[in-house]
Amino acid sequence: MSVFSLQIITPEKIFFEGEVQRVIVRTTEGDVGILAKHEKYVAALPSGPVKVILSDGSQRIAALSGGAVKVSPDRTAILANAVEWAEDIDIDWAKRSEEDARRRKENSKDQQELQFAEMKLQRALNRLRVSGMKE
Amino acid sequence: MAASNMKAIKRRIKSVESTMQITKAMELVSSSKLRRAKARAEQAVPFFNLLYETMSEVASEAVGFHSAYTELREEGAALLVVIAGDRGLAGGFNINVFRLADQRIRELEAEGREVILMTVGKKASEHYAKTTKRVLGTFDNVGETISTYTALHMAQHIVHLFDQGHLALVDVFFTNMVSPLSQEARQMQVIPVPNMELNPGVRSLTHYEPSPEAVFDSLIPQYLAGILYCTIVDTYASEQAARRMAMENASDNAQEMIDDLSLKYNRARQASITQELTEIVSGANAQG
Repeated sequence: MSVFSLQIITPEKIFFEGEVQRVIVRTTEGDVGILAKHEKYVAALPSGPVKVILSDGSQRIAALSGGAVKVSPDRTAILANAVEWAEDIDIDWAKRSEEDARRRKENSKDQQELQFAEMKLQRALNRLRVSGMKE
Repeated sequence: MAASNMKAIKRRIKSVESTMQITKAMELVSSSKLRRAKARAEQAVPFFNLLYETMSEVASEAVGFHSAYTELREEGAALLVVIAGDRGLAGGFNINVFRLADQRIRELEAEGREVILMTVGKKASEHYAKTTKRVLGTFDNVGETISTYTALHMAQHIVHLFDQGHLALVDVFFTNMVSPLSQEARQMQVIPVPNMELNPGVRSLTHYEPSPEAVFDSLIPQYLAGILYCTIVDTYASEQAARRMAMENASDNAQEMIDDLSLKYNRARQASITQELTEIVSGANAQG
């Protein structure tokens, strides 16, 4: 199967760089699978899982918190605020931040605080979901 | 008389020496912090370049592109994000950025715009502590450990305020590390997003989902967070570079003072010996 080069970049580092067969991202419109020679494509990504199928056919899953995917003829890049491999997720910490987000949501005084708490909750839930997806 | 003079000089040498130990230590600490900060600033570059490239492509390629974030609004306040250090003892580092920001505040107020402030760094919040202007947020001690979440949190505050129609423009004031030897206070216009239309009219076959505008607007918080992250890290690196330089100068001056005082001390010692000798000789002469 033909491969293409994928980069996953965060402000702190280049998280992943290499040849892959396929990558599946969750866009605002639904899951999108990207293979080699995909058309030029840009989409916004909310918090969600990213599934990468490496050139040897093995699969890795990561939790991504907000970003975008950009497919150009020479490479595919995923921009992410933060991203973690499923096996690296600290489940206890994610659970704590879920509880914290729920508490904040209940105690929020205005629309803005509610919105921030909701986003934090979504990130925590995403990480918990993704950590359960690992093989 | 000479003996008490010698004692005073000795004491001054001791005190300058101990000051020099401190400045030397601070110089070393700053150099190692600078190295780490520089690495962090460089790591953020690929992300930010790609983000900027994507956004400018959306803005220039999509036909009839229109976004609230690229046009200057008539109504609304100006938000100035002023990024400074957390500590002093860094030469003119903090003053320079405040001078730039204060000048901009006067300009905006002359135009009749309301100014809202957001301060990053303890020195910035101290500088604007007595202001009557509205302060949206103060973020102290974030430079060394800033995470993307902190930057995103700040960005979301700003975007939220913008979306409600309270803001017309956002400027960031920070210090750019040109080289370890020179830092420059800068002003950066963030919103309206400048120079996005690189080559307007070039149609591309890129597929945007859900739409070019939606992609662009959803990237705005990240763009803002990216700029804040980069400028805060850059300012922190500049702060360390400025402090290292200030401390190096201080150590040099201290060394110079010690040399000077040692010379004086030796002279005083010599003088007292000469005086003693003269006293002995004249005493012997009187006897003889």
